[in-house]
Amino acid sequence: MEELLQDVVNVLVSIVEACGAAVIIIGAVWAFIRFVWVGLRRRDTSAFVPVRLTLGRFLALGLEFQLASDVLRTAVAPSFRELGQLAAVAAIRTVLNYFLGKEIAEERRQVAEEAGRAGTAGGSTPADRPVRPA
Amino acid sequence: MTGLLVALPGIIAQLLSGAALLAGVLTLATTRKPALALSVFLDLLTAAGLLRLVGDPSWQSITTAAVIVGLRHLIGFGLRIGARTWTGSAPGPGRAGPRSGVVVDRLLRPAWRR
Repeated sequence: MEELLQDVVNVLVSIVEACGAAVIIIGAVWAFIRFVWVGLRRRDTSAFVPVRLTLGRFLALGLEFQLASDVLRTAVAPSFRELGQLAAVAAIRTVLNYFLGKEIAEERRQVAEEAGRAGTAGGSTPADRPVRPA
Repeated sequence: MTGLLVALPGIIAQLLSGAALLAGVLTLATTRKPALALSVFLDLLTAAGLLRLVGDPSWQSITTAAVIVGLRHLIGFGLRIGARTWTGSAPGPGRAGPRSGVVVDRLLRPAWRR
């Protein structure tokens, strides 16, 4: 019974890890192509930000899959060595996921600020600008 | 299946590392902004590091991924501190001196482009 459970878990771990790897590969290849495109065509710093944001989202999604596979691995009783490796990998993935989330939120805030600033600069007239005291 | 799952991401991770270097150099050449180029380089390098953790990773690949993640945040922190210093040392209305943007541009622009 335990061997059957181990086999099933191994297959599930492989499938979930393959999904995570596929998401990361697709995101990285897409981001590389976009980086080259933006670098050659637009040469604008702000054009890189959406690409980095999307890559971050792909990496976060891939990490979620990989963390799920880590959780699945704990279903079968591993040795202490395997458990140590599993803990290290899960810690790296969790920390990275946390920081990726923070970075995505920060970059999104910057994009919104820049968009707001551009809207204010482009749409305001001298009449609706605040009057500074002399 | 597990063998393929370990071998294929490993090969793609190596290709991605090369692509990261290429994208970083291209970004530096076109925008002349080292901070941005470094971010692009480290973003793709992180993806490569994550791919190395797929399957049954060795302690070396675990350490490499951890170092990349740590380095990424250390450099990001350093760059933010640097940017804050430049912003904070901008001259006030009564002080004469070049604008911080001009100084940064002068420092970051290669000598042959001046």
